[in-house]
Amino acid sequence: MDELDPVIHASARLRITAALATLAAGDRLAFPRLQQLLEMTPGNLSTHLRKLEDAGYVEVTKAHQGRSPVTYLNLTARGRSAFEVYTASLKKLLG
Amino acid sequence: MANNDGAPISVDVAGVDHDESALSPEQMLKLVDDQQSVMVRQQLSPIPWMLGVWGIAWLIGFGLLWAAAQSGSSWISVPLVPARVAFAVLIGGAIVISTILGIRISTGVQGNSTFAGTVYGLSWLVASTGFSTVGAGLIQNGLSPELASLYFPAVFGIMAGMIYFLGAALWQEKSQLVLGSILLVAGAISPFFGAPTNNVVMALVGGGSMLIAAIVFALHLRRMA
Repeated sequence: MDELDPVIHASARLRITAALATLAAGDRLAFPRLQQLLEMTPGNLSTHLRKLEDAGYVEVTKAHQGRSPVTYLNLTARGRSAFEVYTASLKKLLG
Repeated sequence: MANNDGAPISVDVAGVDHDESALSPEQMLKLVDDQQSVMVRQQLSPIPWMLGVWGIAWLIGFGLLWAAAQSGSSWISVPLVPARVAFAVLIGGAIVISTILGIRISTGVQGNSTFAGTVYGLSWLVASTGFSTVGAGLIQNGLSPELASLYFPAVFGIMAGMIYFLGAALWQEKSQLVLGSILLVAGAISPFFGAPTNNVVMALVGGGSMLIAAIVFALHLRRMA
């Protein structure tokens, strides 16, 4: 039996990772935009993002737009390759 | 919170988290595909509108310029000055609307593509200012109104075609290459038809192909859903 990465093998975190994987290299996505695209609550999204960040899969950048702080997110090289390995092993499982 | 962080688990272990149970491999793979197609569709959704707005602006704008130049010889009678004003309003409106839509595409995205998008947006402004300035310079040096009415639509078409080429390179999109080529050809051949028929070429070939592209793109996005 193939073993799957437990960090991504949870539907919410898989969706976050899949969404961020569509960004071009060197691009970051703002938290509110990601939340809107995933239709998740801010609390739920934050919780899962923290786990992805702890695993070194997601990089969190704090920036300022005028006076309001904005959090930007992107997959790290490690996160991107973990996502690729994960989808590849799913496909292998399915034959 | 289940305490199995860090250790790889086998696929048949249900419930990695209490709140986020893991689905079957098929379902997980479908989740990836669905989420990525939502992302792509959201990104591309303003493009049919952009193409549509430009298509209508060209079709009606150049159509009016042609009708105005008919000067009472046909069933249609449009005064020249209002036609020119309407043309400017249509093109100006298309610029404003497509800029707003362009900003909407990149909302919340920061990084390398911000620079690319800004340069692309600026290229329209820079190129149209450049071509207009050349036109003004030619008029000042004796270019007749008849020849000016051949020059402006032609360079406008060539400019739009070139910028769609640029877009094709930026976003690796072959469809923009097709549209760019059509606009380039429309602009380049339009002077051979003479005034005011050159405006018909711009309206039908240029405006028409943008409207067709808008419909094709909209259908493509719907198929992805």
